[in-house]
Amino acid sequence: MVIYLIVLFVVTLVYFASAERLVTYIRLIGAQGLLLCGIALFELREVNTINMIFIVSETIAFKAFLIPYLLNSIIRASGVTKVHRQAIPGFYLLIFSVLALIISVLLADSLVNPFVNTIYMTIALFSLFTGLLLIVTHKLIISHLIGFLIMENAVFVFSLAVGNEMPVLINIGILLDIFVGVLILGFFGLRLKPHTNELTILKD
Amino acid sequence: MAGFLLILISAIFFPGIILRTKSIASGRKGPGVFQPVRDASLLLKKGSVFSTTTGLIFQIAPVITLSTIVCAIMVIPFANQTALISFEGDFVFFSYMLALGRFFAIISALDTGSSFEGMGASREAFFSMLIEPAFFILIAAFSMFTGFTSFSDIFSHFFITGNHYVLIYSIIGFYVFIQTALIENSRLPVDDPKTHLELTMIHEVMILDNSGFDKALIHIGTWLKFAIYGSLMYNVIVPSGWNIFLQILLFLGVQSLFAVIVGLLESFRARNKMNKNPKFILSVSAIAMIAFVIILILTHKLNQ
Repeated sequence: MVIYLIVLFVVTLVYFASAERLVTYIRLIGAQGLLLCGIALFELREVNTINMIFIVSETIAFKAFLIPYLLNSIIRASGVTKVHRQAIPGFYLLIFSVLALIISVLLADSLVNPFVNTIYMTIALFSLFTGLLLIVTHKLIISHLIGFLIMENAVFVFSLAVGNEMPVLINIGILLDIFVGVLILGFFGLRLKPHTNELTILKD
Repeated sequence: MAGFLLILISAIFFPGIILRTKSIASGRKGPGVFQPVRDASLLLKKGSVFSTTTGLIFQIAPVITLSTIVCAIMVIPFANQTALISFEGDFVFFSYMLALGRFFAIISALDTGSSFEGMGASREAFFSMLIEPAFFILIAAFSMFTGFTSFSDIFSHFFITGNHYVLIYSIIGFYVFIQTALIENSRLPVDDPKTHLELTMIHEVMILDNSGFDKALIHIGTWLKFAIYGSLMYNVIVPSGWNIFLQILLFLGVQSLFAVIVGLLESFRARNKMNKNPKFILSVSAIAMIAFVIILILTHKLNQ
């Protein structure tokens, strides 16, 4: 069963490369949260019950609902609906995404060891590369934030790969979730000016 | 032989079912299931008119295109029977027979000297080039999964390899074949066969100068291509070892379902903007790549 969820997770990562609307990104982030919750439920069999309940409830609450809700609020407040027009076209991003998938497979294969599940390692690396690609190729700060969220999901997937041996890693991954929540909330407080034209911009 | 005949039979019904679905979906009475066949038989009785700017290529291209499609049908197996022609790597033969037909369609469009047809030919060549990796990656993945390189062997061993995740490959295969069929046959969302403006056409603009008998051959070729891809879809979702009569019924059912899906897509989906098409087509290749990677990991081919 878990393999079906993993395939869906990879499909969402490829979808990120072809989507152009920020609403689609947010829906995909929410979907990834639910998929990660499912994967955690099926994969973490050796974790104690209380820890398990905490992990699952945190994943659903933060990844699937709270973060998408906050991102939606930012989009509504800023009025930005599409990615920046100077962003690299989706066609090239898809090519890079497929290349990233191939590199992830080769890298995970070269790092193979008995304690780490190869498929999780591959997906974590692919997720990491997709997040990096989104950050590098997009101009809007919201896209960068979404890229960071994808990388954070990569950390979560990687912690699942070794979760049965080192459950504390998952909890550290969850701390990262909370950090992202605070970071997004910071957007409301900072009141970033449109057209700052520095490292990142808020509006097209 | 049964597979060959079944593809021919289902090709007769295919365009009619699409038309009926579109009629029902839009609340019209619409033409009957056999109307496209009647139209084609009418065209077959007519002669062809050739422009003075065209040459030999334009006159022979429709026949060559149809014959390449018929050759491609011969390598498609049905149930646990071997295809009429089966050899190692026959999927390459299959793909390049279709590509040869397309090549002749393209140079025949260029032969007319019309700028519109040249534009359509360029688009057709570009989109076909983009969808080719999707087909090859998927078949390579299936080939790696089963350990065989001919269609007959791949599909007869597809469900008996004992791998529990075969359903994933079936679903991805079904999806990629549907998209490939829609793109290869220039249907929605990539191209609209009913469009009225030459500037937005892809396939239809290439055959503007064809008439009568030649046009009928082109239409028949399109129906056959649909039935070919329907047959490939059938092969990835139905195990080959089942009872032959049940298989025939299921085959016709899958072909009808595919035609209904195409009809519904054309009724309810808008056509892509032209500049969005490359990305859309490439995403199909990306999905095929996912199947390839998943099979690579799950069958432990990398760690060997």
